[in-house]
Parts: sequence; C-alpha cells; structure tokens
Amino acid sequence: MDHVTVNGARHPAPVDPETSTAEHVRDRLGLTGTKIACGGGVCGACTILVDGSPTVSCLLPSDRLAGRTVTTVEGLGGTHPVQYAFAAHDALQCGYCTPGFVVSASVFVDTWRADHGDTRPDRDTIAEALSGHLCRCGAYEGIFAAVAAACAGEFDSRPDREPPRRDAVDKVTGRARFSADLAPHGHWEGVIVRSTHAHARVRAVDPGAARTGDAPEDTAAASGTAPVFTDLLGEDRTVRYVGQPIAAVAAPTSAGARAAAAAVRVDYDPLPAVLDAEAARAPGAPVLYPTRAERAAAPSYGEAPTPPARWEGNLRGPGTLSWRGPTAVRRLRRAARASDPLLVSGEFTTASQAHNPLEPHVCVASWEPGGDLYLRVSTQAVAKTAERAAKHWGLPLDRVHVVSEYVGGGFGAKNALSADIVASVELARAARAPVRVAFDRAEELTDAGHRPAARTRVALLADRNGDLAAMSVDSRGEGGVSVGSSAAALAFMMYGRSPRRVRDFDVVTNLPPGMPMRGPGGPPMAWALEQAVDMMAHRLGEDPLALRARWDGNPKRRALYARAAKLDLWRDRPRGPRSGRFRHGVGVAAASWLYLLGPQARVELSVEDGSLVVRSSTQDIGTGIRTVLAGAVADRLGVPASDLRVEIGRSGPVHGTGSYGSRTTTSMGPAAVQAADRLRDALRERSPSVPAVGPVPEHAFKEALTAAEGVRVEGGRGLDRWGQLSPNMADDLALGRGLSGAVHVMEVEVDTLLGRVQPTRCWAGIAAGRVYAERLARNQCEGAVVQGVGYALFEERRHDPATGVTLTDNMEDYRIPGPGDVPETEVYFHEEGFEHVPGGGIGLGEVSVVGVAAALANAVHDATGWRPHELPVRPDRLIEGLR
Amino acid sequence: MITVTRPATLDEALSGLDGTGALPRAGGTDLTACLGSGVIGSAPVVDLSGVGELRGVDWLPDGSARVGALTGVGELAGDPGLADAYPALAAVARVLATPQVRDAATLGGNLLQRNRCWYLRNPAFDCFQTGGDSCPARSGDHLYGVVVDQGPCVAPHPSSLAVALLAHDATVLVAGAGSTQPEERPVADLYDGADPARDHVLAPGRVLVSVSLPVPVRGERSSHRRATGRSRSEWPLVEAVARLDCGVDGAGPVTRAAVAVGGVARTPLRLPGVESALVGALPGRALGPEAEDALADLASLCSPLPSTGYKVDLLRATVRDVLERALGVPRS
Repeated sequence: MDHVTVNGARHPAPVDPETSTAEHVRDRLGLTGTKIACGGGVCGACTILVDGSPTVSCLLPSDRLAGRTVTTVEGLGGTHPVQYAFAAHDALQCGYCTPGFVVSASVFVDTWRADHGDTRPDRDTIAEALSGHLCRCGAYEGIFAAVAAACAGEFDSRPDREPPRRDAVDKVTGRARFSADLAPHGHWEGVIVRSTHAHARVRAVDPGAARTGDAPEDTAAASGTAPVFTDLLGEDRTVRYVGQPIAAVAAPTSAGARAAAAAVRVDYDPLPAVLDAEAARAPGAPVLYPTRAERAAAPSYGEAPTPPARWEGNLRGPGTLSWRGPTAVRRLRRAARASDPLLVSGEFTTASQAHNPLEPHVCVASWEPGGDLYLRVSTQAVAKTAERAAKHWGLPLDRVHVVSEYVGGGFGAKNALSADIVASVELARAARAPVRVAFDRAEELTDAGHRPAARTRVALLADRNGDLAAMSVDSRGEGGVSVGSSAAALAFMMYGRSPRRVRDFDVVTNLPPGMPMRGPGGPPMAWALEQAVDMMAHRLGEDPLALRARWDGNPKRRALYARAAKLDLWRDRPRGPRSGRFRHGVGVAAASWLYLLGPQARVELSVEDGSLVVRSSTQDIGTGIRTVLAGAVADRLGVPASDLRVEIGRSGPVHGTGSYGSRTTTSMGPAAVQAADRLRDALRERSPSVPAVGPVPEHAFKEALTAAEGVRVEGGRGLDRWGQLSPNMADDLALGRGLSGAVHVMEVEVDTLLGRVQPTRCWAGIAAGRVYAERLARNQCEGAVVQGVGYALFEERRHDPATGVTLTDNMEDYRIPGPGDVPETEVYFHEEGFEHVPGGGIGLGEVSVVGVAAALANAVHDATGWRPHELPVRPDRLIEGLR
Repeated sequence: MITVTRPATLDEALSGLDGTGALPRAGGTDLTACLGSGVIGSAPVVDLSGVGELRGVDWLPDGSARVGALTGVGELAGDPGLADAYPALAAVARVLATPQVRDAATLGGNLLQRNRCWYLRNPAFDCFQTGGDSCPARSGDHLYGVVVDQGPCVAPHPSSLAVALLAHDATVLVAGAGSTQPEERPVADLYDGADPARDHVLAPGRVLVSVSLPVPVRGERSSHRRATGRSRSEWPLVEAVARLDCGVDGAGPVTRAAVAVGGVARTPLRLPGVESALVGALPGRALGPEAEDALADLASLCSPLPSTGYKVDLLRATVRDVLERALGVPRS
C-alpha cells in the first residue's frame, strides 16, 4: 500500500479523488489547524507543505498524496521563528487564516535567510511571498512586521516576553479549535435546502427520502441512519429571495446529506419579483410586504430595534432627525435657486459589502439524554444565543449550553439565531445524534448578512463666514428584504448644531437580507458626507483639515485634527494639479460613533486548585477580550497575567457582553476590575499579608490563594459618572455620554493608465478614551483600515439581474484586500475624554472603520481631480472618470 | 466513489481515455473545483502525473525547448534556463494565480482549464457549456466579459500562459489513442472563439503532450502586464505580452514584434496591426505615431458588450504599458 508522510508519521495514502487533501488532513487525520475557508484556492487558509512547498490543499485531490511528504501547521512544532514572530507581533486577530499564513511564511523566511542572510525583506517582497493569503480581520501590519523580524533572525529562540495576545500561541500552532473544527463522535452532517426563486409561494415541500419525525411510524425508523428532514419556513410560506432557507436535511455523512438535500422537492408558485431598487419603486411594482403584519416582520439590519415607519409600496420611511429642519431645508432651497457657490451637493452610492468571516457560520447541535441542548457554534454572543435558544425551544435557560471557544471572525454576521443553529437543533432532535450544519462559502456570501448598498444625497451650505449654515442628508438603504437604514441618522451627530435635516429610507427588493456590519450605516454616511465636506473645503479654498477643525465642535476630534495637521504625511502632501501616469494624493475624513455599553456585564473570579480563574459568558471573536480580562485583573492586583486562567466562550457562568456594537471591552473591563477589587477584599480576610492597595507580592498572592480555595466573587459594570444617556434597553444595551472620534489621513498612488488605486500610507487617529490592550487595539484599528480599503476599492456583492442569484458567491469574485493592497498604517490613540467612564475607555471597533473609504475617496480626488461618487472605485470607473 | 487510474505511459493513458468518458487529470486544481461545483459531472479520472512522456524540459540542439505538459507552473516560473530563453513566458508564470496554486498547477492544465465565468461556475445556471442553449452572462451581468465578441459565449479565455505562448509562436503536441500520429499545431489552434460549448477544441480522449517553443531570440526585450483591481492574485481584466526583437544587444530598432492579449476575447489574440507598427521603434524612446495610431486603432478590433466598454480603453492602456516597458520608455 502507498503511504504518505504527514508531520513525520507514515499514514496509508488516501485513495478518494473526490476528497481534497484539506478534507483528508482535517477529517481523517484530525489535523484541524489546516482550515478551509474559500474552498477555491483563493484565500490560502488551507496551505500545507507538500514536499516542502506551500500548496493549496483544498484543490489538491487527496489521492495525489501517495509517496509525498506533508507538513501541516502542527508539524512546525510551535518553534519555528515565524510562529514566535507572529505571536510577538500580534500578526493575527481571529486566527482562522493564521495557520495558512504561518505555513507559507515559514518557507519564505527559511528561503530568504538562506539566500540573503539575516536581513529584513521589504514590504513588497513579503506581500509577493504571501500573495496567496487573505486575512479578513486585516492583521497585515503585524504580519509584515513579524515576517521581517523572523527573517532578520530576531526570533530564533522562544522570546522571554509573553505575546501581547493571550491565545496567540494556540492560534499560530493550529491548536485553537474553532467551532468549524469540531466533529463530535457519531455526528451527522446537515444541509440547508434554499429557495431557487426570488419570490414564490411554497405550495409543498416533499422531503424525498428523508423522514420528518412527525409521523408515528417514524419512531421505528428513528434509530436508523435514514436521513432526517426539518422545515425551516414556518407559517409564512413565502420565499422572498434566492437562497432563503426552506428546509434542512441531515445524514450520517456529508455525501449522504447532499444527496438527501438533492432529493427534496419544493413545489413553488412563482410570484413576480423586484430585483433592484429602481424596479421596486416603479409604478405597479410587485409589493414585497403587502400587509402590515408582513411589514412588521421584515428583518432588520439595524443594530438597535427599528422604529415603526410609514410604508409606500416597497419604500419605507423616512425616519427623520431634525434640528431646525425647516430652516435647513429653506436655506438649501434658496441657495439652490440662487446657484449659491457655497452650496455643495451630490449623490453618492455604496455597494453592498459582505461580512465574509473566514470561519463560516457553523453549529453542532446535540440533545443530551437529560434534555439539555448543546450548541457548539461560531457566535459573537454566547450568552445571548443561549437566551434566544431557550426562548425559541421553550427550555429553561440552564438547560441550554452554548460553546464558542474560538470564533473565526464575525463583523456583525454572527449575532442571531441563524439558520445553521435552527437547522442543526431541529435535525439533531430528529436524528437523535449531534448534527453539524456549516455554511459553505457560497451560502456565507449569499445569505449570511451584508452591509446593504446605499444611495445618499448630501447638501451642505456655508454662510459668508464659511460656517456651516445648513445640512441635509437623505439616504436610501438597499438591504434586499430587510430594512433598517441608519446612515443619514449618523450624519446628524457630525459638525456641530447648525440647522439640519437627515432622513433615512429603505427600499425593499427580492434580494437577501443585510445584517448589522461593523459600524452599521457609518461607512456609507461618511462616503457621502466626508466627500461633501471635502468639496466644500475646495469651494472655500480652505485646507480640508482646517475646515473640519473649524466646523467640528468635538474636542477629542479637534485634538486629532491638530495632531494630523502636524504629520509629514499631511504637511508634505503634493499640492496643485498633478500630471503624469502615476499621481499621488492625500485625503482626510472624520468619523464619530456612539458610546454603547452592556450594563449587565459581569465577571466572576474564583480560586480553584490554587489558581485564579477569570470567567464570564463572553467570547473572543479576534478583538482580544481574553487578553483584556486577564490584563484588567492582573493590573488591578499587580500579579502576572500569566498566573490567571481565563475561561470564556461558554454560556452558563455570569452574564458576558456580546461582541458587537463596540461595547465588549468597555463593559467587561470595568467588571473585571470590580471583581478584582472584591477578590482582594476576600483574600485579605484570609491573608493579612495581602495589601489593601497596590501590587500583591508574589508570595503573598500564592499564600492567599491557598487560603482562599473555593472563594468566588463577582464584579459588574459600574455606572458612569453622571449616569448613562439611556436606560438599559433590551439586549443588554445602553447609550453612554460622549462620542468616540476618528480621523483618517490616507495617501494613494493612482495609476491613471490602468485605473488602479494603490493606498500607500494611512494615519488612523482614534479617540475612544483609554486603551486597554494597546497592541490588540492597534491591530483592530489597522484591520479597520484594511476593511475600509476593501470597501472603497474592491468589495461588492453582485447578483444576476434576471434571477437574483448572487454571482459573487465565492472569494474569487467577492474580492477582499490582500497583503499587497493595504497602506502602511500608523495608529494613534488620543486617550482623553472618557474619564466619566469606569476604566476610562470605550469601544473603538466601529469608529475605526467609518471614515476609511471616504478618506481614500478624498485622496483619489486630490490625486486626480476626479471625485468617485460610486464605490467601489474599480478600474473601469476610474478610467471612465478620467477619460 | 470516482475511480482513478494511474497510467505510467502515454499509451496507457490514451487507451484509458479513449471512448471511456474518463477525465484526464494533471495538477487537478481546476478539475477539483469543477467537480466540486458541478461544472463537470462525476466521471472516472485518469491521473496523468505518472506519465513520464509528459514531464520535463528538453533542450534541442538548435537551442529551442520542448516543455512537457505536466511541468508545474511554479517550475516554469523558477527555471533559470527558461527565464533566460523565454522571459515573457517566465514572467507570466510568476504572476498567475497564487504561489500555492502555482505549486500544484501545470502547464497543460493551465492551457486547457475551464473559463472563470461566474454563471458557468454557479450551479443555478445552465449555459452552452453545461447543456443549456443560451449565455446568461450575455443578457446578465458580464462586467468581466469579453470586449471582442467572437461568438455566443462571452467569457474571456482564462489561460495567461496561452497569451505568453501565443506571443512566443509556440506549438503544442497533441496525442490520441490508436495508431494516429501525435499531431503538432500552433497554440492558437487549441481554441475556437466561435464555439461556445468548449474552452478548447481537443476532442475527448486527446492529451496535450508538450509545448514547443521556437529558438530563443537573443537580446529580446519583453514585458507582461495584467490590469487588475487588486495588486496581485486576481484574474486579469486585460493582460498583454510584448516581445520585441531589437537585435542581439537589445539596443537596436525593433525588427520584429509579437504582441498578444488576454482577458478580451474567448481566445487569446495576437495584435498584428500593433506588431507591424512597432517595426523600427527605438528602445528608450516614446512610441512613434505609427504605434500610436495602431493603439488607437485597437478600438476597431473591439465589439464591446453593454458592460465591457471600459475594456476598449483598458486594452489600449495595457498594450501601451507593455510596449513602453519592453522598449524601456522612461516612466512618467
């Protein structure tokens, strides 16, 4: 028999050509460090070494392995310089793409050093070497630094310092087990059957060979291995987009499940569909939600509950915010009639952006004999998911157990009782076995949420002094079947208190629904407003930074403007018209975000087996809450963070905050500090050598823990000084006082011949108060620049105009930035201004993304004189714009 | 389960493929993707990786090379002898796909791969290639489609190596079962833009054995360029290869030019008008009026679809870029 050597061990060579090498090493050999993300050879997450060369294992048939030598990330042993360097430079966030990067980089570093000695390759050389890898979190700055340092020989032995990220070593070695890596013994695979029609009544669903579990005779079959079926449509038998879940089936094998899904027959009664916003608004267009009840049930992509609004056919809204609105409108109209040169206006559109986390939506559900429900799921909210599941299935909360130890990205898409969860739970019940439902990339890019497209009209009027005299913003969100535009509303909080009216509309179409995505509404708002402000600066002949500093009353952002104005990047920017093929430009944009918090956040500290354990039912999606919790407790007690054990990623312990809405750290951090203070009190009762304040000496700490075995304390999120602006709303959400701020300065090089924009440098100034874990926060802000660049230049969901089928359902056609596409980024934190908040800091995950694309657009305009109104700025648009 | 046979010789491979409906497999990257997405229906596989006749680079006495079809794309990119003799081919091999795909993919597989149309690769659609009788991209979203409309299908040819080989005047050797002699033909004859049902014209059962390149041109100046949105690892919107013979020292006027483009038509194309206009051009000097006219004239080659008008400009721009780079025109 042929053999393959994997990480030094001989195994029989696989013979099945339909199993990819990636599937083989993961499913048969249990080497789950190798990930499958795109499944099409694009993203590099599946990279392994075959005979020493980095190879795409998702496209390599497993029967080709005979006689070859394979090294996976596990085979690097955790001691390769690149692994140390990735951990030390925090070259990762969620960690899902990390093993692939590490495997390729290990070969590059070894080869480079053999050829060039211990020297640092430049950024472009590294980008070239890693050009087959994509990181959705955007940890490229750390990756560049790590690879260069490893090449220079800085990581030939284990560093003395702990990595800045607590779980970094687990992620660079492939040890971190994500939900997609779990395959419990005897589990079945589930597949969702999805609508092939954009709009139809479903008359009947024939489960084919699968059993439904409804009929009494099924009881007899229940112990067998025949596929099982569950309906997912519920009472509303209407499907409103291609890809909408209709039913699901499960079987003991993937192939069996796929066959069972293919055997399901759906009887459709097609209805007329509307597939774009213009068609939806046309007279006589089919109406998606004809009844009040249907309209109320329309899904929302807003982060907060969507207030009721007027509907007219497929148009919903407006939701209006107004401050002397009639004055604003009157002034703008008068200025328009008079062709006032200080009136600027424009219409700006943004494309729909997919969250596209590299770990797909996945849930392994199992019903335990006692009736307990286990969900091993990739989620941004373990506590909330448990509550939702308990409610949905009518279970006491303590019978539902949600586990999500490592989460491979979310960006807002993994915060719902999504189809993977519902299907796996129902199928597990019918199958009497654990069932895994994992989205493939096509499902992930079709029906796992997106930032909806938007069309935004802005008008700004300056008075004779150059002050803002009036503003209006009308934004129309295009979220498919969902509603919840908030782009215009976000403009309300920019640029002082001049008269203004902002209105949000939604137009619904027969396309998949959006979900809240990192800074919902923010990037499309900034794309329009910040370009309009730039236009005004040109109209007034004023420096765009100076104009913003003048108009913007926010002291934190003003501090950032002052800082930005001193940057070489800004001061030395080119001036005047540019010529030639390659043109450089620099642009700026400002952003603002709400301060949200989760008042119910709690952290538990307990002394177990002589160790201090930090626990909460929160989760780490790559932002680093594990590190924040350990750091907060360790700092408060003055003990090494490495002495603590952090257990998160499970429901059950005290309530933890969901990882969305820029609120996890500002909620959990103070709770951890309070818990640490309470622990100190408890320790002092037993060990007088523990001081009342200041660091606890090492010997005293050990002694105290021994004496305090079994002690358990809890800390909560204290109140802000002067209180919150809103009470605790549903969903553990309150609005705090003060806004976070950001200023981005972006430099680009535009190739006017081939129509390509290369961002070269970016400065990201972030004002969100005190920063808890500096390197991790910086990483997140660097990643925001990457996502903003993707939004500005490459990313867009496209669908077939005739059928509504998503065409960009793969990572070849849905284009996210690679290492060579992102600017060298410097992040600056202005840490003042949130002294009224316990811990002094608020969230920065969203404010850091809002203005990036707008800054890039302003840079393109600066370079070329052409203003991009539509996003993404594709080569065809740029070429046409410059024609 | 799909059965796989692993012939050790070309004859065995050919008889395994002859009339059996079996699929030949080289690197397997595209075949794996196509089987996975249903573009290709399940069928027995004849794995060619053990066939010695398909491997290796042979240097003939006249200095020309014959490259086995199973030569890896990464090998093409990294072989110093090939890079020296056929710089345009090596340049293309170095930038196509990603390093990890280049490690698995082969020359032959690249030339005979299926196109990248998002309708073809989406199981929700039928088209000429999957048993349908229309092109949903033509009436639908064809942003990345052809600008030279040769026939019912509007997907550009995906092979970058074919563009390079067309510019190199390469030929391919194709073998079939039985007593028929292997047949040599120009690389251009692998493709037929008017045939919407196939991305190459090899009949089932035939195997591409090797690619023959002509005697290298000493002192050749060449360039390859892809117009893409992202910096790397993306299928080109337009790509172009230019090879200029400027004498053995590479410094004289152009005596012969070869310019080929991809991403614009169902097949890679040569641009004879541009080629003849370049004769006499001098390295280091801006393009002359004849070349400028020929570039302007590329519009007459184009027949844009509703969404591909931009490719007229991009075609001109990309060709201009490779010409200027090959000539060493100073960058503005």
